[in-house]
Order: sequence, then structure tokens, then C-alpha cells
Amino acid sequence: MRPLEDVLREWEAVIGLEVHCALTTLATKMFCGCKLEFGAPPNTHTCPVCLGLPGALPVPNQAAIESIVLAGLATNCDIMKRSMFYRKGYLYPDMAKGFQITQGPVAFCMNGHLDLAMEGPGAGERVDLPQARERGAYATRIGVARIHLEEDAGKMIHVGGGEGRIAGATHSLVDFNRAGTPLIELVTRPDLRTPEEARRFMQKLRQIFLALGISSCSMEEGSLRADGNVSLRRRGSDGFGVKTELKNINSFKHLHDGLAYEICRQAEVLEAGGAIRQETRHWDPHAKRTVVMRVKETADDYRMFPDPDLAPYDLTDEFIERLRAKLPELPDQKVERLQAAFGLAAYDARQLAEDAATLAFFEDGMAIAGGDARAVAKPLANLLLNDVAAAAAGDGSFDLAAGPLTPDRAVELVTLMAEGAVSSRQGKEVLAAVLAEGKDPRAIVEERGMKQVSDAAAIEVVVDAVLAANPDQVAKYRAGKTGLIGYFVGQCMKATNGQGNPQVINQILAEKLGATE
Amino acid sequence: MPFAAMGIAAIQAGLRAGEFSAREVADAALARVRETDGAVHAFLEVTGSLAHEAADRVDAAIAAGSFDELGSLAGIPIGFKDNMNLAGTHTTCASRMLESYVSPYTATCVRKTLDAGAIPIGKTNMDEFAFGSSTESSAFGVTRNPWDLDRVPGGSSGGSAAAVAAGMVPVALGSDTGGSIRQPACFCGVVGVKPTYGLVSRYGIVAFGSSLDQVGPITRTVRDAAMALNVLTGRDERDCTSQECTVDFTANLNAGVAGMRIGIVPAFLQARGLAPEVKAKVEETAAQLQALGAHVVEVALPNAQKAMSAYYVLGPCEAFSNLTRFDGVRYGYCDPGHEDLGSQYEASRAVGFGPEARRRIMLGSYLLSSGVYDRYYYPAQQVRTLVTRDYARAFQQCDCILAPVVPTAAWRFGEKSDPTSMYLADMFTVSINLAGNGGMSVPVGFGADSGLPVGVQLIVPAFRDENMLRVAAAIESAIGQRGLSPLVESKGAVSFGLRGDAR
Amino acid sequence: MERHVTERDVRRIAEYVRIALAEDEIPQMTADLNAIIEGLRPITEYDLDGVEPTFHPIGDLSNVMRADAERPSFTQAEALANAPKQQDGSFLIPRILGGDDA
Repeated sequence: MRPLEDVLREWEAVIGLEVHCALTTLATKMFCGCKLEFGAPPNTHTCPVCLGLPGALPVPNQAAIESIVLAGLATNCDIMKRSMFYRKGYLYPDMAKGFQITQGPVAFCMNGHLDLAMEGPGAGERVDLPQARERGAYATRIGVARIHLEEDAGKMIHVGGGEGRIAGATHSLVDFNRAGTPLIELVTRPDLRTPEEARRFMQKLRQIFLALGISSCSMEEGSLRADGNVSLRRRGSDGFGVKTELKNINSFKHLHDGLAYEICRQAEVLEAGGAIRQETRHWDPHAKRTVVMRVKETADDYRMFPDPDLAPYDLTDEFIERLRAKLPELPDQKVERLQAAFGLAAYDARQLAEDAATLAFFEDGMAIAGGDARAVAKPLANLLLNDVAAAAAGDGSFDLAAGPLTPDRAVELVTLMAEGAVSSRQGKEVLAAVLAEGKDPRAIVEERGMKQVSDAAAIEVVVDAVLAANPDQVAKYRAGKTGLIGYFVGQCMKATNGQGNPQVINQILAEKLGATE
Repeated sequence: MPFAAMGIAAIQAGLRAGEFSAREVADAALARVRETDGAVHAFLEVTGSLAHEAADRVDAAIAAGSFDELGSLAGIPIGFKDNMNLAGTHTTCASRMLESYVSPYTATCVRKTLDAGAIPIGKTNMDEFAFGSSTESSAFGVTRNPWDLDRVPGGSSGGSAAAVAAGMVPVALGSDTGGSIRQPACFCGVVGVKPTYGLVSRYGIVAFGSSLDQVGPITRTVRDAAMALNVLTGRDERDCTSQECTVDFTANLNAGVAGMRIGIVPAFLQARGLAPEVKAKVEETAAQLQALGAHVVEVALPNAQKAMSAYYVLGPCEAFSNLTRFDGVRYGYCDPGHEDLGSQYEASRAVGFGPEARRRIMLGSYLLSSGVYDRYYYPAQQVRTLVTRDYARAFQQCDCILAPVVPTAAWRFGEKSDPTSMYLADMFTVSINLAGNGGMSVPVGFGADSGLPVGVQLIVPAFRDENMLRVAAAIESAIGQRGLSPLVESKGAVSFGLRGDAR
Repeated sequence: MERHVTERDVRRIAEYVRIALAEDEIPQMTADLNAIIEGLRPITEYDLDGVEPTFHPIGDLSNVMRADAERPSFTQAEALANAPKQQDGSFLIPRILGGDDA
């Protein structure tokens, strides 16, 4: 198969996502008072309602309705005041009632959108956009068709086959603890054009849902999962090709890689004169390919009709406005605020806003810095996004919030650097020492005698000594090999035990080397 | 007075006066069941030990002097249609599918009667999953009409109506989706109330048509029905469609009908298939009410005919959906020996469901399928709007409509084997379920031709159920004391035990 | 009388609702369904233009919800008490042919 960017030069991918998010932060299920808990012994959180016993009736959880309205407000949806629950018929062993309660043509939330700021290497997948090629960044708006509320099914374990799969299993076991878990399903418009856009959309949605506090959004535990639809069309055409559906994707990487594979596979089939079948496929991350799960010959007929057991909704303005007032600051708003308040670059602000713990740390730091906040903001952001991130990389147990690097220590460190008291290289050393020893940066600097030397007179002595010791290099430099400046700086730093202020050294070196001309 | 003829007031008076104990009441009811139910077969399960436990609680309260703190059904034997969950009992819906199912929970309406001190005697026979109007589709044998053992008791709550008519219990609960309380009550010469939709919780009642089902009491007197309603009604947080109710249904029973406007629907009385003896009874009753000071006015329900086809669309659609859960995995009949789930499903549902249930499931599934939905289901819900408007308009002109319940008196077993002819029996009852308002059947004597019990139907606006009880009470007292079913008279009194005998 | 459903339709419906019909039951079921559906013909012929449907006969009742508060659940034994087959605290079903891995 050809590489993705090659394929995308001739083909345009049309991608839509269906994202399921379990409202795991609620105490109870969607239609009954059974506790929501992941990993409990089988069938210990069930009742007549979620077991589908004859005669039981559903009663909606108000907190679930509030959660979906928050999700709709946060994704710029229209909140539909009038809507109903429907029954979606489905006779399968994990579906206790023989139907799923979901919503019909009108969902609680309709017609929203999210704006994506694409940047970084993946932005290049948009081979059709000049700004993506030239600046590695572009913006795009992804439509949200609807978000509806529904209930999850029970969980089946297939026994006797390979890797817990149905194929080859001798029998299956059904556990209804998960049955009735409130789910919101967000359906995008087919506005996504690259696997990277799909990944960014999911990441952004996850940040929003986490900020709203409506779900743990754990892809490992399945509380956030996505199905991706993808079809191809020739560049320049505006019809729709036959789509395939990738089911139950449970990581951002799988979402990207599965869609990328599927785009390349479809292109290969189409270029060979073949036709795409409408089918459901599964991304196998080990084999790095998609495999067919099911061919859809006819449209499913779920015999949907309004659920007579559930009164319709007629949400009041008061209900909606009360929730709007409860909306927390969302990632986009955070980015704007960080830029406006602290003069951060958009890229840094977005990076900070992506991780709640990092952002909280940064904001604590800003509060400590007080009047100096603007001056300290950029170095603190750099410290967190580069140095701390590098220190944390590879250490799964790293916990910024609990670690020895406190916001006041971080501010102290960047202040030391901003004052020129320690060099940036020394700064890294101090950071490592803070993380290892849990001491204050000033104490470490004192202890190790690491004060940066910025005094021009002291440095001039060192510079003179270095130049005197290297007459050959000086001659070469003066003959035009100006790249040797780095060598001189290095020698000066060595002579000052790394404590010389590189800026001052540079300045004096330039003066000395030019002055004798 | 023999136990079989006693109503709520008589039993409670005897308990208060110490003439007999609640234990003796329970035993009298159980004895009555033993003596008569061989012939009638009203009960599918008799709950003797639950009855004794409940009775002993009542006796303890009497001993402690706190009888009056119990609810208004204290010491009253009661039967529950077998689609009502009562923890620890079988709830079979008269189906093989649920033959071995034991309820792990209790329906709200059942719980309320037990909390009010009622003594549970057992679970009554019915058409399988309430699909029918004769109780002939029960998987466990028919129930016979106590007035004529060769005739059907009506249905689907035929067991409940027959148990009350035969004097086994003074109160039984039924459920009514298209007439299933009113029609058997009419056939068995007893009072049957289908309250306004939402007045009684449906939680724990095995659903047939969820937007049509409503639970109500079957009793021998209007006052007993009112007392039962006082216990049954009110908002249940487990049923989204249930509503608050603060009415005392006994308050206006003796207020009479002077000044009330009683509506008659001329088209109903000219309906094809309406037996002359039934028509005559409705007209006699109208004349009686007029004599009592009511104004009889003619009202129109122009969409009543449409209601029939709408009902026969919506009922199967909702039933199909409600019966999908019976798959033999969590409970219910599981056909043995299958190596794959598909064949286990198909055999379990084929064996578990009887012919009428299978037909309705198939029909409902067809009617809801894509492309067909818009031709049947959607217009049926539009018709519901028209029918509701009809009633709203009619009730601007009258307080209560007087109508037939069923076109004829009870038919003989096997007489109506064709499903469509049986459907016609519902022609006067289904529109009330569609619109959701209240309706009841009250006995008015015997048909001139058949000699069998005939009732009339009273219909009121939603949540004005007290008004139909008031009219019914007036009719009841105008007719005077009715005879008990011949079965009751021939079998005579049932002993209340030593103390009762000694008296 | 119009044939609303053919025997083939009836087989498909039976498969959908998971009820095994014997070959010799198909003609009777087809005839019964056609008779009943024919009886419903009037509903397809009414003039209902502009009439709003009433899906819930409950007047203006709306927005019925419960607080997000826990209630007691069944014990595992209670949940499984009516199960025809069980294993390791779960409901046991035979193998699923042609099912989706989900």
C-alpha cells in the first residue's frame, strides 16, 4: 500500500465519528438506582429495571440529563427543549429488555461544532491546504450533528475461543452490571478529512468532557470509545463514496492508525478497479491492519418507536440557563485567557491547557509570582512543557501534583534564571536536583556554589586567558572562520565551571575578537 | 351473612367487633377457594402462608388496639391478576414462558394493598399475557363464569372477575389495556374500574401495551371499589407516567346524580352487533338516572370507529416490544439441549409463547418495521389525538358518559374462535384506553334474553374518576341488592371456624 | 383480499422476532396476519393531515426524573435466582453463531 500522504494527494478522505462516552462520574445508572462501578463482581449491581424483569419501568436520572445538556452547551449545540426517548429493538443476550432506550430523530443536543487548531507534524496530512504545508498549522471547524442519551448494554465474556472472541467460543457469560450505564453518543458531521483531524477531535472532546466532569473518559476502561466511518472520493469531486466503519476504537493512536490504514486500503482497492463494500471492520493494532467484522447487506431495522414508559421532555429555559451558569472554563477559553493574561504564545497556551495537572500547577505558579507573573510566565511554561515533561517521560509514576517540585519552587527556579543568577544549563541541573532531593532551588544553588557569574570584569579576565591560550584558533577566527565562536564560549564556560553567563561571555568575546581587527 | 357475600365494611365491622379474627377471614377465603375453585378455576396459585402471615399481622394490630391505624383494606382478602409481581410468588401471566418464574420483587399496586392490611389469597387466571377477552388463551386452563359454568368469564382479567363473583374474595385487582377489567366484570356481574391512566402505578405489572395498561379493582360493590382506589392511587416514583392523587373516592358516593349531566352516544346504541338486551339495559339505566334528577344529553364521539383500528395497531406494537425481553436467558422458559444461542432463542420463544402471543408479536414487529410504521403506527397515534379531542368536546356537554360495556352477555366456550370476531367485543372499551381517561363497568341486572349479568359503562374525563363512582353508586342503589352468583347461593355459607359456627 | 405479507415475509418476521415456526405453521400464520392486517386497512385511509400524534396519554406531564441517588441492588444470588443456566455468577448462554465481536 502507498503511504497516506501519497494517497491523500489524489483522494480526499471523508471521515465521521460516533463517540460514546459513559457518564461514569454519576452515582447511579441511567434508569435505575443501581450503583455505577467498574470492575465489581458480576451481577452485583442489578435490579428489576436493569435486568429487564417483567413489569419493571425506567425512570431517568436527572444528573444524566444535566450532563448531556452540559456536553451540548460545551460543543456549541442547540439544546432541544422537546425530545423523547425511543425504544430501539435489539434481541441480543446483553440487552436485558430486548430493546435499548435511546433517542429518536430529535436528540437533546443538535447542530453543534468544535474548532480544531491543527499544528505539529500531523497537520501535514492536509496536503490540500497551502497553510498546512507552509506553516504546519491550520484551523478547521468540525460539525456535531447531534448528541443523544442512551443506555449501555451488559457485558459478555466468550469462553473457549481464542482471546475471548466469539468465534470458536463454546459458550458465553453475561454480566449486567454495566447494563443501563448512561451513555452519551456524539455524532459528527462527515467534516473530518485526515486521521490526524480525527485524533485531534477526539482529544479535544476528551478534554472538554473531563473539564465538564461528566466522565472519567478512560479509553482503557471503555468509558470513551469511538467508531469511525470513512470513505474516499477523488480530489475535486463532491460525491460520497461507499464507507466502511471501524468499530470500538479505544485509543487515540488506534483511531489515527486504523483510519490511516483504512484510507490506504480503500485507495488500493479503488485504484485496482475494485469496489468498497459497506462493512464493519476492526483495527488489529498488532497486525497493523483492519479486518472485516460484518458485511451490512441491508440496513438494520430496529423497529424504533417512542418509549411509552417515559414521559417526554419539555426542558425549561431556567433548567438550561442554570446549567449554562455551571459550565466550567473550557479548553478554548483557557487558551485565550492564558494568552491574554500572561502573554503566552498560542502554542504554549494550548499545550498547557491540554493537561489539567500541568495547567493547575502553572496557574498556582502565576498566583505566587504575583506582579511578576507576566515576566515569569514564558519561562515557567517552558520549564513545565519541556524540562519537566522530559524529566517525567519514561517514568510512569511521575505525578506532578504530588512531586517535590512545587509551584513556588518552580517560580523560584525560573526567577533565578530570569535574573541571570543561574544559566539555563544550570537550571536543568537545579531542576533535576529539586526532583531528586526535594530541596528549594536557592538552597541547591547555594549548596553547589552554582551562582552564575555575570560580572563583566570577572568574565573579561577569563576571556583574555582563553584567547591567550588559543592563538591559532584566534587567527583562524579572524581569517573568517567565525563558527569558532562556539569553541571559545565553550572554553570560557569550562574555565568558569559552567557558571559564566553565556550572554556576557558572548558579548565580551565578540568585542575582543573584533576589537583587535 | 356468609363470608362469600361479605364486602369490606362487613368484614371490617366483624373484625372490629371481635366476631371473628383476620386469621378466620383468611381461612374462610381459602376454604371458599377450595370449595368453588375446582369448578371455576379463577386462581393459578393460592398463597396460603402469605395470607396467614398478613392475617396474623392484622390480628396482632387488633389485639394491640391499633386496627384503625392499618390501612383501609385491613383484613380484606384480595386476589391479584397473575401479571402482578408479588415477591416469592409465581408470576406467570398464564404463559408457559413464565411457568417457573418466581418474582423477586413486588409491584407497587400490590405493595400498597398489602401495606394497607390486605390478605393476599392468590394469583388469578388471565388470558396469556392479557391477550384476549375470554381467559381461554391461558396456558393453564380456562376460567369458568360463576353465573354459568359453560360460559367464559370474559378477559383478560377473567380470573379476578370470577373470583369476586364466586365469593372467594371481595376484592381482586385486574389490568385493563382495552377493556380487560370492564368486560370480565360485566360478564361476571361485578364492578370493575379502569382508572384514568396514571392514577395507579404500573410498576411491577407485566406490560402488554404500556401506553394503554392501567390497574384497577374488581369488587362486588361500588363502595368497595372506591375503598380499594383510595389505597391504589397516587404518584409512584418508579413509574414516570403515574400522577399525584389526593381524592377520597368514597367522599361523594352518596351525593346522588341530581343536576349531573349524563351523556348518551346515539351511535353506540345503533352499533351493529349490539344485543337488544344490552341496548335495553343502557336505556333503562338512562331513564333511571333521569328519574334520579340527572340531565341526560346526547353527545357524539365521531372518531370512536377509528379508535378500534388504532387500538389494534398500538396494542400489538407495544406488546411485541414488551415481549422481546422473554429470551430464556435471565428467566423464563429455556428450551433444553441447544448448542447455539439462535436455536435456543427460537425454540424457547416458540414453545414458551402460545398462539395468540406469537401472532401479536409477529404482527407488532411487522407494523413497526421500516416503511410500514408510517402506514399504521404513526396514524394510530394521530387517531389517539382525535379520540382524545372527541372526549374533551363531549365532556363540555356532560359530566359522565353512559355506554354499553360489551355488545353481548358472556358467550359460550369456543363460540368465538376467530380472533377478529373476538376483537369486536372491545368496540366500546378501547377508545377510553387510547385517550387515557377513566371508565368502569357497573352491573345493572340480567339480560332479558340471556338471563345473564349485564353491566353498563360509565366514562369520565381524566382524573375525574370520583364522578363515575358517584353515578355508579346511584345506579347500584336504584337497582337494589343484587343476588350473588348461583354458585355462591348453591354453595351457601362458608364456615368461619368454631367461633363463627357457634354464633 | 390483498396479500399484505407473503409466506416469505412471515419467515423473515419470525426470524426477526426469534420464534421458530414449523413449515406447516407458516401458511396459517400468513393467513392470520393477512386477515388481521386487512382489518387494519381503515387506519391507512383516514385523512389525518396536520393531526399531531399523541404518543403518551398523560396530558402535559413532562420532565419526570429522579435524583442521582443509589438504591439497594439485588445480591448476585437474587439476580440469578430465575436463571435457567448460570456459571461463575453470570448468566450462561450457548455459543453465538455469526455474532459480532464487540
